[in-house]
Amino acid sequence: MTRISLHVNGTAVERDVEPRTSLADFLRESCALTATHLGCEHGACGACTVLVDGMIARSCLKFAVMCEGREVVTLEGLADDALSDTIKQAFHESHALQCGFCTPGMLMAARDLLSRNPIPSEDQVRAALAGHICRCTGYSGIVHAIILASRRLIPVE
Amino acid sequence: MKPSPFDYARPASLDLALATMAEHADSASLIAGGQSLVPLLNLRMAPSELIVDISRLLELREIRDLGDRVFLGAGLTHAMFEDGVAPDPGNGLMRKTAENIAYRAIRCHGTIGGSVAMADPAADWPAVLLALGAVAILRSEGAERRVTMNDLLVGTYETSLHQGEIIVGFEIAKLPPTARTSYIKFNKKVGAFATSLAVAVHGETTRVVIAGAGSRARILRKTSEALATGADAIACIGGDLDEIMSEPDAYLRQLHVTTITRAIGEVLGA
Amino acid sequence: MSGDAHSSGGWIGASLLRKEDARHLAGKAMFVADVRLPGLQDIAFVRSQIAHGRIVSMAKPAGAESRVFTIADFPSLHVLEAGPELDAFRQSPYPALASDKVRYVGQAMAACVAPTRALAEDLAELVQVDCSELPAVVDAIAAMSPGSARLFESWADNAYITRTISAGDLSRLKDAPIRLRRKFRMNRQATVSLETRGVVAHWDARLEELVVYLSTQGGHVMRLGLARALGLPENQIRVIAPDVGGGFGGKNRLLPEEIAVCAIALKVGHPVRWIEDRREHLLASVHCRDHHYDLIVSADSEGHLLGIEGDVHIDAGAYALWPTGSFMEASMAAGNLPGPYRIKALSVNTFTVATNKAPMGPYRGVARPGACFAIERLVDEVALHMGIEPYELRKRNLVTREEMPYNTVAGLKLDTGDYHDALDTAAAMVDIPAVRRRQAERKPGEPRIGVGFAVYTEQSGHGVVEWSKRKSRVVPGYESANVRMLPDGSVTIHVGVQNHGQGHETTLAQIAAHELSLDPSQIRIRYGDTATTPFGFGSFASRSIVFAGGAVGTTTRRLAEKIRLIGAHFLQADPKDVRIENGHVISQSGSVAFSEIALAANIRQEMLPQGMDPLLDMTGTYEPTESAGVFSYGTHAVVVEVDEATGGVKILDYAVSEDCGTMINPMIVDGQVQGGISQGIGTGLYEEIPFNAEGQPLATTFADYMMPCATEIPTVRIAHSVTPAKVTEYGVKGVGEGGAIAPPAALANAVADAFRDCKASFNETPLTPRRVWDAVQIARAGAAS
Repeated sequence: MTRISLHVNGTAVERDVEPRTSLADFLRESCALTATHLGCEHGACGACTVLVDGMIARSCLKFAVMCEGREVVTLEGLADDALSDTIKQAFHESHALQCGFCTPGMLMAARDLLSRNPIPSEDQVRAALAGHICRCTGYSGIVHAIILASRRLIPVE
Repeated sequence: MKPSPFDYARPASLDLALATMAEHADSASLIAGGQSLVPLLNLRMAPSELIVDISRLLELREIRDLGDRVFLGAGLTHAMFEDGVAPDPGNGLMRKTAENIAYRAIRCHGTIGGSVAMADPAADWPAVLLALGAVAILRSEGAERRVTMNDLLVGTYETSLHQGEIIVGFEIAKLPPTARTSYIKFNKKVGAFATSLAVAVHGETTRVVIAGAGSRARILRKTSEALATGADAIACIGGDLDEIMSEPDAYLRQLHVTTITRAIGEVLGA
Repeated sequence: MSGDAHSSGGWIGASLLRKEDARHLAGKAMFVADVRLPGLQDIAFVRSQIAHGRIVSMAKPAGAESRVFTIADFPSLHVLEAGPELDAFRQSPYPALASDKVRYVGQAMAACVAPTRALAEDLAELVQVDCSELPAVVDAIAAMSPGSARLFESWADNAYITRTISAGDLSRLKDAPIRLRRKFRMNRQATVSLETRGVVAHWDARLEELVVYLSTQGGHVMRLGLARALGLPENQIRVIAPDVGGGFGGKNRLLPEEIAVCAIALKVGHPVRWIEDRREHLLASVHCRDHHYDLIVSADSEGHLLGIEGDVHIDAGAYALWPTGSFMEASMAAGNLPGPYRIKALSVNTFTVATNKAPMGPYRGVARPGACFAIERLVDEVALHMGIEPYELRKRNLVTREEMPYNTVAGLKLDTGDYHDALDTAAAMVDIPAVRRRQAERKPGEPRIGVGFAVYTEQSGHGVVEWSKRKSRVVPGYESANVRMLPDGSVTIHVGVQNHGQGHETTLAQIAAHELSLDPSQIRIRYGDTATTPFGFGSFASRSIVFAGGAVGTTTRRLAEKIRLIGAHFLQADPKDVRIENGHVISQSGSVAFSEIALAANIRQEMLPQGMDPLLDMTGTYEPTESAGVFSYGTHAVVVEVDEATGGVKILDYAVSEDCGTMINPMIVDGQVQGGISQGIGTGLYEEIPFNAEGQPLATTFADYMMPCATEIPTVRIAHSVTPAKVTEYGVKGVGEGGAIAPPAALANAVADAFRDCKASFNETPLTPRRVWDAVQIARAGAAS
């Protein structure tokens, strides 16, 4: 076991972990933050996407010990985030989720895209969602939602 | 799908990392971004007793302007090239490459040095660095050596890195503004490893590289020479591929011919 | 897609935004892996590394004997009989953990329990397994040759069942002016719900019951299977399906791991959990498709299709899954070969074959994507042969509206709709003349363009008649609903179907709101707990809106009538003079709120009319007035660009014209269509689990199993027609599967259209770049020789 301390959703957290424990398992099992979903555990599905020091990361591809001192933000940590609120509302209105399992990762990817590129083209939205698997929706609602959120954030004449 | 147990070390400096690697050379793996290594660990396909974390070493993120060359630290992430945080001596080639590696969340953490050290035969950076004539700077405890990309790449997941040796960065000659580059990747879906990747650099020096054919990225010798001298480069592709492709595969051969031809077409401005 | 509110209380047909979204968007959903119980430990399975072998020995690691389980530890566990109830269907006993033999790579052999999954996997690595390898059976057609190795020694060959489906006048076919023979193959894939399977189980000592959190499409049926396997009475098993992250058929079978986890929970005295990982999912969860067709289509000289003859092999894998196995795969494939065409003769030999691969189960569309691929490709091949537009050939053969209801030669009763209109609409949407112009103007070296069509039907709402005909072990002929109005007038409805993305909390609330004149926000739909819901079969086969919608509709209607009677009593009006509106019973002189009526019915019995039973609590079942099923239908039209040099296919336009009867929530219908098509595109272009000659699967991670993402799936243009069904409540028909049925056929036809100059045939899915390129080379070589 290795003792680590880091910030999770703004709160200082100190825990003993096995070095092999992924950040995803750490969040889910040690921090009881289960919005972060595991869909593949090899970095291909995107369901476990979180923010590490402001950068999106596949939490299945990071070990918790590597995150010593880092700021980790999960979907639970975006409850009062204005950008996320706009995106979530757009997801709701655009029928961008069905079973909901991919949704946390999709929201993370959407927020990351719009924070880097506030007015993305549809192709850019789709490119930003590559590597995020949704088995239910066929993506069109998700793409629509992100464009809708973008327009609401930065109204275009 | 959880890794076998391992110990973890995060040396505070490159020298300490090298010392750790020297001590545990048989049983240790380096982790930088971990975006290729961790899946293998999770699948228990690359067991390791000690994981040495070099992801925070600032020495590996150095960027130095050497006049006609640039030194780029091995720990620079793909996203740094994508975002223009790291310079691009390849006149946009490196940026374009970075943009096309896997997915954004992977690019934010995966590193150029890690990609080269992993030596996936279809990976992007080995091919592009080969085409750019990069020299890898390798450090081990008390020693440093310089190795061309051609000598560093050996085979599938195989490099000429010695045990305990770390890639600290790459020296890359700045392409003159007139040089043309091309990067043509064909993959089964966006973000997947290339089925065929052709990279062409055409300027004072000319190199055409193929990845996905054979066990490592290769320079197409005759094709590159022909392109450099204004001869019929397209006509040379087949001969070069015969030397590179280990197994006859009509489809892949055609695919490689296609990506290479298109790359050549792009640098010739067609 | 809009959240436009209903007009004047018309909840049927309103694109109401979903009630289930909020918890998912907040990260507050609960899937099985999110269940936390004190003392919970994880399970990892030891799985077979070989495709076929006899188990010589399995040795538990020293010191860990009590934490490692093999089948020998469960002598009283029952092996479930699976497959249709037909004597001709051979039994393939599938134990919870392998007993004497292993029959596919990935079959569970032992289970290891530890405080974490990582530790359980460590333990699993230490289990010593010794198997003597046997020849692997990997090709479903070769498996039927006399010399083939056999999976089950007691069987005479490797067929679970062999059947010939023969109908109509076959005598005309032999001399038909057009007879084309083609072979088609739809390769093996996985269902790939993004949430994998998972079980958390523990013995509740207070209630003396086994509590099983299960990611399933139907908890009641799974409880039945678990009870039989474990030898427990059903009233001592509670199955809870919390949020379920997709199923698509794969979670509608009881798999051995699920039984093993429950058996372990009964032994160890603490909660145990198994969460399937993605490699396990691709290795050993439900596999699907894997159809092989060798068919002859006959047509007259005007292109009227006369009949289909040939063989269908279904590679069903190593075991039949409980309850029904994969027999329906073959019978439905054959039965759907005539499609919506006026084909009068059918003679198909079907072989459901056991091979050393993971067992086959249902997957969205069940059999019909394969059948649609075969018939729709055959239609295009006949058109190509005749030199006419495939669109035109379809027009000549499609059943017309006037002919409906139309009994197909295979015995399906196509009930209502206008198939020609759907085809015409889709054709107009993609603009065939414009595509033909672009093709004509193409310069050498430019990508090729092709347009392809596929028409499909989607049977839904089929009940007793159809499932009995299929000899199903479980006959899902009805659905149930329990409707309760609580003292304050709020409504809770428990249903036996299982929402796993379909939006039942919204659509069923819309139906109840319609009947009760309430706002859907006042109605809560509950499901997924055998302790609280009435028996139901779950969500599959596009059945939920027909059956559960019907059950909710008819039961709330009965409740509304009781409310109305109580209201009339309150208002001292004749019951025939009162109506319900907006949560009130209204007479000419006054109104009374449901809350007052509900209060009386629940806690002030003395206020009720003389002799009336208390409570506003009704349970009802529903089956459509005819149980042969109703048929949604549509036409898919796709325009593709093909890079001849690489074989790469890019979708330029995808249009659908469909009719699923009355739409309760058009937004959700669009979501089902778009989502189904996404999966169909996966089947058509990307997804495949190949096997080598030793039976090793070659796609066990997403590095090799290509899952289409937003960069691969276009936004589909959807046009709706509405022909209400005659035998269902509100005229609804199911819509869950249709989207997945037609895309492989439409895509292959579009690619073939791009190469019609060389008559290349694209008869195997997925149409990978290599397959496309190879098909063109073969056609060119054939033309040259």
